[in-house]
Amino acid sequence: MVPYIIRRLLISIPILGIGSLLAYLMVALSGDPLANLRAQPGVTESVISNAERQLGLDRPVLVRYWNWLTDFVQGDWGVRLGQGQARADVFDTVMRAFLVTFQLVLAAEVLAIVLGVAVGVLAAVRQYSLFDNSATTAAFIMFSMPLFCVGIALKTYGIELNNLLVNLGFERWLTTAGPRRGGYDGSVGEQIFQYTGTFLLPTLTLMAISFAAYSRFQRSSMLETMNTDYVRTARAKGLRPSRVIFRHAFRNALIPVTTLMSLNFSAVLGGAIITEIVFGWNGLGTLLVESVRQYDPNTLMGWLMVTAVVVVLFNLLADILYSYLDPRIRLG
Amino acid sequence: MADVTKSSAPAGAAANLVASGYSGLAPGEFGTGAMTTGARTQWQTVLRRFRRHRAAMISVGLFVLLVLVAIVLPWFYSYDHTYTGGDSFEEPTAAHILGTDQLGRDMVALILRGTQYSLLISIVVGVMATVIGVSLGALSGYLGGVIDTLVNRVVDLFLILPLVAVAGILVHAFAGSWYVVALVLGLFSWMTVARINRGETLSLAQREFVEAARALGAGTPRIVFRHILPNLTGIITVNATLAVATAVLAEAALSFIGLGVQPPDTSLGLIIQQNYAQFGGARWWLFWPPFLTIVAISLCINFIGDGLRDAFDPRQTRVRA
Amino acid sequence: MKQVRGMLALAAALGAALVLSACAGGPDGASGNGAGGNGASSTAKGNNGDGTYTAPGVPPGPEVVYTHSTAYTAYNNKTPDANSFYNTEALSPVLADPFFLDGNLEYLLDTDMMESVELTSEDPQIVTYQIKPNLTWSDGAAWDCDDFYLAWLALSGKPVQRDAAGQPILDAEGNEQTFFTPASTVGVEQTNAECTDDLTFVETYETPFADWKGNYVQNSLLPAHIIEQQTGIADITTITPTSPAADLQRIADFWNTRWNGFTKEIMPGSGPYMIDSWEQNASVTLVRNPNWAGNPGGPERIVLRNIADGSAQAQGLQNQDFTVIIPQADPVVAERLRNLSAQGVIFEAKGGLTFEHLDLNFDNPLFQDKAVRQAFAQCIDRNEVVEKLVRGVDPQARPLGSLLFTPDEADYEDVYSDKMPADPTKAKQTLEAAGWQLGQDGVYAKDSRRLSFRISHTDVPRRVQTVQLIQSACRAAGMDVVDDTDPNFLDDRVSQGDYDVALYAWVGTPLKSSPASIYQTGGGQNWQGYTNPGVDEAWDKVKLEFDEAARTDALKTADRLTAEDLASLPLFQLPDMWAYSDTIDSVYYQGSDGATWNANEWEVQ
Repeated sequence: MVPYIIRRLLISIPILGIGSLLAYLMVALSGDPLANLRAQPGVTESVISNAERQLGLDRPVLVRYWNWLTDFVQGDWGVRLGQGQARADVFDTVMRAFLVTFQLVLAAEVLAIVLGVAVGVLAAVRQYSLFDNSATTAAFIMFSMPLFCVGIALKTYGIELNNLLVNLGFERWLTTAGPRRGGYDGSVGEQIFQYTGTFLLPTLTLMAISFAAYSRFQRSSMLETMNTDYVRTARAKGLRPSRVIFRHAFRNALIPVTTLMSLNFSAVLGGAIITEIVFGWNGLGTLLVESVRQYDPNTLMGWLMVTAVVVVLFNLLADILYSYLDPRIRLG
Repeated sequence: MADVTKSSAPAGAAANLVASGYSGLAPGEFGTGAMTTGARTQWQTVLRRFRRHRAAMISVGLFVLLVLVAIVLPWFYSYDHTYTGGDSFEEPTAAHILGTDQLGRDMVALILRGTQYSLLISIVVGVMATVIGVSLGALSGYLGGVIDTLVNRVVDLFLILPLVAVAGILVHAFAGSWYVVALVLGLFSWMTVARINRGETLSLAQREFVEAARALGAGTPRIVFRHILPNLTGIITVNATLAVATAVLAEAALSFIGLGVQPPDTSLGLIIQQNYAQFGGARWWLFWPPFLTIVAISLCINFIGDGLRDAFDPRQTRVRA
Repeated sequence: MKQVRGMLALAAALGAALVLSACAGGPDGASGNGAGGNGASSTAKGNNGDGTYTAPGVPPGPEVVYTHSTAYTAYNNKTPDANSFYNTEALSPVLADPFFLDGNLEYLLDTDMMESVELTSEDPQIVTYQIKPNLTWSDGAAWDCDDFYLAWLALSGKPVQRDAAGQPILDAEGNEQTFFTPASTVGVEQTNAECTDDLTFVETYETPFADWKGNYVQNSLLPAHIIEQQTGIADITTITPTSPAADLQRIADFWNTRWNGFTKEIMPGSGPYMIDSWEQNASVTLVRNPNWAGNPGGPERIVLRNIADGSAQAQGLQNQDFTVIIPQADPVVAERLRNLSAQGVIFEAKGGLTFEHLDLNFDNPLFQDKAVRQAFAQCIDRNEVVEKLVRGVDPQARPLGSLLFTPDEADYEDVYSDKMPADPTKAKQTLEAAGWQLGQDGVYAKDSRRLSFRISHTDVPRRVQTVQLIQSACRAAGMDVVDDTDPNFLDDRVSQGDYDVALYAWVGTPLKSSPASIYQTGGGQNWQGYTNPGVDEAWDKVKLEFDEAARTDALKTADRLTAEDLASLPLFQLPDMWAYSDTIDSVYYQGSDGATWNANEWEVQ
C-alpha cells in the first residue's frame, strides 16, 4: 500500500508539471496583465514600460513560465494584478478562498455520499416500490435542474421560514448571504444555531445534484450486485436478508460510487462556484470569476495549481478506497 | 451520468452473442442461411426492449418534437430574435404569446433561437466527447502497455484542470461565441467516456473471439473497429446521450456565471441568466418558459439514456421477485 | 412495471414544477412606488448653510452592515494598484479631508478639522490651509501640517531620480522616473508646498489651476508620523524633492506598497471612524474613533461587506442580513427592491455621475462628412434606449442633453435634443441632401462607399442591448450599423483610436476642468481626433479662470460648440441605485464617494 501511494505521488509530480505548463500557456495567451494599467487615465508610457520590465513581460513565454515555476515552488506565488487589488498576496488570497470553499464542499459531499448511498441501497432493496419510484423521480428532476435555480428557490423559502420564525417569537435562523462575519460566539447551543443557519442553505444546494447522482449509481450498482451468483448463493444458503445485503452486496456495490467520486470533482467545483455566487460566499468560485473578468494571471495560476493538487489527492484517496473495498483489485 | 456498473460487466457482450445465436462472428453478421430461425440483430433486440420503456419512448417523441419546432418554427414565426419593436416587459398577449423581455424582444423568438444554440452546442459536445473518448479508450484498453499508461496520464492531466476554469479563461479570451463554448466543453467531457470504454475494452480483449480473430491474422485496426467497437455500441450510445445531457446543463451553468455564451450569440442558459432574478417575481413568462425548456430537454435525454441502458442490458428483463 | 414507473416519473416531474411555481409566489405589496423621493436627503445634516460643515451630534445606534460589490483592498487609495471606488467607500469616514463633499457634490469647509482654507492670492495663485490646533489621529499622534506635506510630496510627482549633477535621469522613452507612484498628479503637480508652521500649509501654484479645492480630498491625507516611525526619518517636512535618493526611496517604497490591506498599527484613523478589523476579500469593520475631534458618529460600528451579485444583496437585505446595499444598477433587482417597501425596505435610484456616450472617430472619412454625423444623430432613438434600459431602475431617467453638466445642476442646458430627434426620415433627407444615394440593399452609398460602420464596446450586456436598439433604429434610415463586442475594447483599442464609433462611459467628477483632456486638441484622452479652436479656447478659460460665473460661461460655450460638431453624443446617465432598511433615517448615494460620505450622521434604531 505505502509503496503504491509513494509511486502514485511520484507520478503525479510530472503530471502536475505538465499541467502547470499547459495552464500557464493558456493563461498567458488569453489576456494582457497590463490592460488595466493602460486603461487608467493619466498613466504614462514610462509607467507602462516600467511595469512591463518588472513583470518580465519582455521575455519569451517559456522563460516566464520557468521563472514563475521556480518562484511558485518556493512559496512565492506573486501578487494580484487585477484592478484595485492593491497587490494582495496571491498565496494568502487563494488559500483563504480555498478554505471557504473547502468547508462548503466537504459538508455537501459528505452529506451527499451518505444520504445518496443510503437512499440508493434502500431503493434497490425495495425496487419498484413507492420509495424507489419517488427517489428515482426526485433524482431525475435534480439531475435536470440547473443548480442556481435550486439555490434561489432555497433562499426564497429560507427567507419565508425566517419570517415565520420571527412571527412565532424566535430569532431569524438562516442567513442567505455569506458566512457569519467574525466567527461564532456564545454558548455551544448558540454556536450550533449560528453554524447551521449559515451552512444549511448553501450545503443543501450544493449537495442536491451530487446526491442525485450517487443515489442513482448506488441503486443500479446495488441491483446488479444483488443479481450476481454469490449473492444468490448467500440468499439460497438461508442468510438473513440484511446480512446478505450488508455483508456481501454492499461493499462491492460501493465500488462504482468511489469511481464516481473522483470523476465528479470537476462538477462539484462547478457547482461550488455557482453556489458561492448565489449565496455570496467569497471562495474559489467568486475568486475565479473575478480573476477571469479582470485578467489576473498570478491568481489564475495559483487557483489552477491548488485545484490540480486537490484533484490528484482526491483521486488517490478514491483509488485507495477502491482497493480497500475490492480485494480483487490489487494496486500496483 | 455514466453508468459505470453496467459497463464493467461483460455480460452485455455475451448476451448479444447468445441473442444472435452465434459465437465467433461479430454481432450483426450472419452466415448465409446457416440457421433457420430468424435471429434478430442486436439492434432489433435493443429497439424492441427500448420500445417497452414508456418514459423513454415519450421522451424520444418529445425531444424530436422540440428539435423540429426549434428548427422549423422560426421560418414561419412573425418575429425573429433581432426584433426589438415591442414595449419593455409586455405581458403575454395575442401579439406576443410569451410576452417581451426588457428590450421589447419577443420571448418565443428568443427561446427558439436559444434552443437552437443550446442543442447545437450540446450535440457538438456529445459528438466530440464520444469520438475522442471512445477512440482513446478503446485503443488504450486494447493495446495496453505504454499506450495505455500514456492515455491514462493524459486523462489525469485533463482531469486536473477543472472545466469551469478553463472554459472561463478561454471563453473570455475568445469572446464567447457558441463554437468556442462548444469546443471547450467538448475538450473536457471526453475523460469519463474514455475511462469507461477502456474498462470495457479491457475485458472484451480477453474474449475468445478476439483471440480467434488475432489467430486468423487480423491487425489491430480490424480487431478494434470490426470486433470490439460493435460490442461497445451499447455503452457508447448510453454515454453519448448522457454526455449531451450533461453538456446542456454545463452550458447553462457557464452562462449563469457569465463565462459561457456571450451576447449577441444566445443560448437557453444565457436567457435564463438574463432573467433568473424573475424567479419569484411577477413576470413568470421571462423565467419559466426557458427554464422548463431546458429541464425538458435534460429530462428527455436522461430518460432516453435510461431507456437505452435498460434496453442494452438483458438482465433487466427479470421480473420482480 | 417500467411503464408505470415512467409515467409516475413524468407526472411527478410536472407536479413538482407546478408546486415550485406556486410556492415561489408573487410580489408582496404594491408594485412600483416610484423611485427616489422617499426622503433620502442629499444635504448633510451638518451643513451650516455658509459653505462650511460641522459634524452634528446624533444619537448612538447599533451596527450597520453596508454591502457593495467589490472588496476593500488598501488604506492608501492613491496608488495605481489600489485606486478603487470601493476603497473610498470604506475610507470616507476614516480619513478626514479639509473639505467635506456633500451629496450635491459641493465642497464644504470641514470646521472640525480646519480653521480656514483660502485663496490668499490669485496671481501668483497661493492657497493657505489653516489647520485647527490639537487634532490627533486615533493613535494619539498629531494631525497637522506634516500630513499635508507628505501628501504633497507623494501626489505632486516632483521627487524624481536625479544624477550627481542634480539633473533628472530619463528612462528609455525620455520620461522622468518618479519615486512615488500616485495614480494621478492632476492639480498637485503644478504646486510647490511648505509648512510655514505646524498648523499652516501653503501651496504656491506655478500655473493657475481653478479646481484647487480638490487637491487634498478623497482620502489623500495619510499619517506622516507612521512614515517617520517606519522609515527612521525624523521630520517629513525636511524632505524635499532634492533630498538624498536613499531617503526618498525609503519613504516612497513605504507609501507605494506598505499601506495595502490592513495592519492596525500603521493605519490609524483621523475621521469619525477608524478601521478595526479586516477579513481579506470578505469584510472590513469600522468602529468609532475615540480621538475624533467633532461629534461622534451615530452607528457604533459599520461593517462593509462585498457581495458581487445584486440579487444576493437584495435577498440579504430582505433577510435583514444587511442594512444598506449598493447593488449594480439592474432593473430586475430594482423591481424586487421596490416590492419590498412593505417590509421596511427603502429603495432609491437616480442618475449618477457616470454617463454613456457615443464617440465618433474623426479619423474615419465617413465621420469627416458632417451630414453623416448629423444623420446618425438624427436616427438614434435615445428615448427608446432610456425607456427600455434605464427606466426600469430609475423611472425619472431622461436622455442626457449635455456632456459637461448633469440635470441636477442649475447650469444644465440641453444642447443635444434638437439635434437628436429620433427621426429616420429626417436622417434620410440629410443624407440625400449631401449626395448619398440609397442602394439596392437599403443602405446608403456615395462615391462607391457604403454607409456602414461598427460600434465598438465591451461585453456589458446593457451595451449590447443599446447597440441592438440603435441597429434597428438606424437601419430604417439606411445605415448599416455593425456590432463590435470586444471584452478588451477598453484596454488599448479605445485609447489608440481603433474604432469607428465607441460606446463607453465617462465617470464624472466634481472637478470641472477634468474633461479638458478629452475635448481639447491633442488632449491626453482625446482619442477620437476631435479638434475645434473655439472649443480649445473655452477650455483654456475653464482651467485658468477663478471667477465661478466666467468658468460656467466658458463651460457652456465649450458644451455648445462641441454639440454643434456632433463629436460625442451623450446617451444617458448610468443610474445609481441603493436600498436600505428603514431603521436608518436617510442614506444618500453620492456619485463620487458612495453612500458613506455622511455615515457619521446616520441615525439608526
